Amino acid sequence: MSNTHKHFQFSLLSFCYITVGVLTVTYIGLIAVVMSYAALTVEFSQSVKNDEAAVAMLESQYLTSVANITNTNYSAEGYAPPIAQIFVPATAVTALR
Amino acid sequence: MRAQFRKRIRIVLAIIILIALGIFIRLYFLQIVHGQEYVQKANQQFASGGSGLFDRGSIYFTRKDGTLISAATLATGFLVAIDPQEIVDAEAAYTAINSIASSTMVTHAAFLADAADKTKVYVEVAYHLSDANGSALATLAIPGVQVLRETWRYYPGGSLAAQSIGIVSDGSGNIPTGQTGLEATYNSVLSRSGDVLHKNFFAELFSNAGSLLANTQNANEGDIVTTIEPEVQTRLQDDITKVNQKYSSEGSGGIIMDPKTGAIYAIASYPTFDPNNLQNLDPSLLVNPLVENVFEYGSIMKPITMASALTAGAVTPQTTYNDTGCIQVDGDRICNWNLKAYGVIPMLTIIQDSLNVGASWVAEQLGQSRFRQYFTNIFGQKTGIDLPHETDALLANLSKPQQIYYDTASFGEGIAVTPIQMIRALAAVANGGMLVRPHLVSNIILNSGASKPVNWGSGTRIFSVAAARETTVMMDALWDNALKVNGISAKIPTMSVAAKTGTAQLPTPTGTYYKNKFFNSEVAFFPSFNPRFIILLYTKDPKNVIYAEQSLSTSLLDLVHFLINYYAVPPDRGVATTTVP
Repeated sequence: MSNTHKHFQFSLLSFCYITVGVLTVTYIGLIAVVMSYAALTVEFSQSVKNDEAAVAMLESQYLTSVANITNTNYSAEGYAPPIAQIFVPATAVTALR
Repeated sequence: MRAQFRKRIRIVLAIIILIALGIFIRLYFLQIVHGQEYVQKANQQFASGGSGLFDRGSIYFTRKDGTLISAATLATGFLVAIDPQEIVDAEAAYTAINSIASSTMVTHAAFLADAADKTKVYVEVAYHLSDANGSALATLAIPGVQVLRETWRYYPGGSLAAQSIGIVSDGSGNIPTGQTGLEATYNSVLSRSGDVLHKNFFAELFSNAGSLLANTQNANEGDIVTTIEPEVQTRLQDDITKVNQKYSSEGSGGIIMDPKTGAIYAIASYPTFDPNNLQNLDPSLLVNPLVENVFEYGSIMKPITMASALTAGAVTPQTTYNDTGCIQVDGDRICNWNLKAYGVIPMLTIIQDSLNVGASWVAEQLGQSRFRQYFTNIFGQKTGIDLPHETDALLANLSKPQQIYYDTASFGEGIAVTPIQMIRALAAVANGGMLVRPHLVSNIILNSGASKPVNWGSGTRIFSVAAARETTVMMDALWDNALKVNGISAKIPTMSVAAKTGTAQLPTPTGTYYKNKFFNSEVAFFPSFNPRFIILLYTKDPKNVIYAEQSLSTSLLDLVHFLINYYAVPPDRGVATTTVP
């Protein structure tokens, strides 16, 4: 009957190799993760900025439209002021009070 | 076994020494031999990133329905830079760039001079290219020409509230900093710290790990939300511009405010500027006259005199006096605007018919000490509005013993205050005697997304409730009974409006007054006894017109009707029968 049980032999050098290997892989992995994260963040940040700029252009168009409407000379456009304004009596059921 | 271990150790040691030696030699070449070259390249990277891709919070207008519209934001696009050492054909490069970015490019002579300076490796020659134009230029791949991403401050409304929104320009260390308006007041909220990822990624890579866990900047940085309503602002600005152009005035301005809270819906002055185009800007236009200039307003000061006297108990609405048309005070003559003697009349007539003799009489009833006390309480300190460079009022005449100074101050001459101080004081009459703090910002939206309301306080009582109401009755009577616009009564059958006009002679540099130059002002608030809006308009030195009723009433009436319609302000009074005015 043979003894199949093997004793594990501790080797300082092997332990160092393994530790350095694990640390190196971890370090490279971390750099890769951080770089990817940063690249994505920069890309997303730029994307947000581009969207904001596009919205700003639309807001500019809106404000220009408001200014144009305000500046409109309605008489020149063919509209005439009302000949008379009729005010509803305060006691009328339709009056806002 | 031990010998083999030593051998291995030596090999590892040798490898480490070789690597260290290699690194040392490499560092020697990097830092000593080619050091200057790399420093220059690094500086170029920082220069282009730092000057172009800056970040800054937004400023928003608030529409009546609560929608936020950008007043100041960021635009992105491209800038064009050249490397004079790499450029081959400067003339051809100029032609190519100019065909795409002519409006924002340096001059032909400046471009050629920069291209000829071979000591430089980076010179910016064109800015603010759109994405399409930037891409088009990049595809040309001109030697020595770089197309780089950039970000710049953009104001979608152009000149809309420009003097109050403010501008940004390079401050210390070439960091864009708010210089005027809200950009300056809220610079610490709007500016972003230098931890932008675009700068030098590797320099920042592991240095800010702490901020990932607890970012203290988020507690302070954000966007600001103003109370300015863009359509009201546009309307006010349009009216102010028309008045100024029609009467060739030296300058005009206006403010529309909530008298109960001090929230400003619109604030405009003319002339103004476009903050998107600051080239050749007259620096004097950056001054906001509504908070930085003082004026003598004339008769819109009379309601302040009346409310002070009513609060002090010096007069009551039923008090009468004998108006003689003119009086002599300390050797000077004070007269009513129309030189008319009104006889024995009540207090209401002083406001309704704008009588200088009556206001002087009220000031005398109040007495110098109490007059000084009330006016110092109202105008003696800055309003605290969130705009920079607010100016103090000029009240020196109220320190003198001669009665003439108090009499003239009672109808708005001899003391000078800012428009924002004036509307704040008149808002106290509208607001039951409470002096509120005018402001432009209602909220700060922090980077975290949280909205932080700005607390502007509840105000300080300066007039009694009764005095404020009684003064309002007098101003209401003026609008209904006396004010005419193009010969037609301004009265609105379904809406009470309290108003006052003011015309003052402009002071000369020597301290006297021009006979033919005037300062016109007009104020209105409505509904009179539960006001939602107060409007102050002024125009300085209008030509071919004397009185504010002639120069400003059309605009004032237009704004009153616009606000009633735009905000659907319900009627506060009615008519007895169907009426066709």
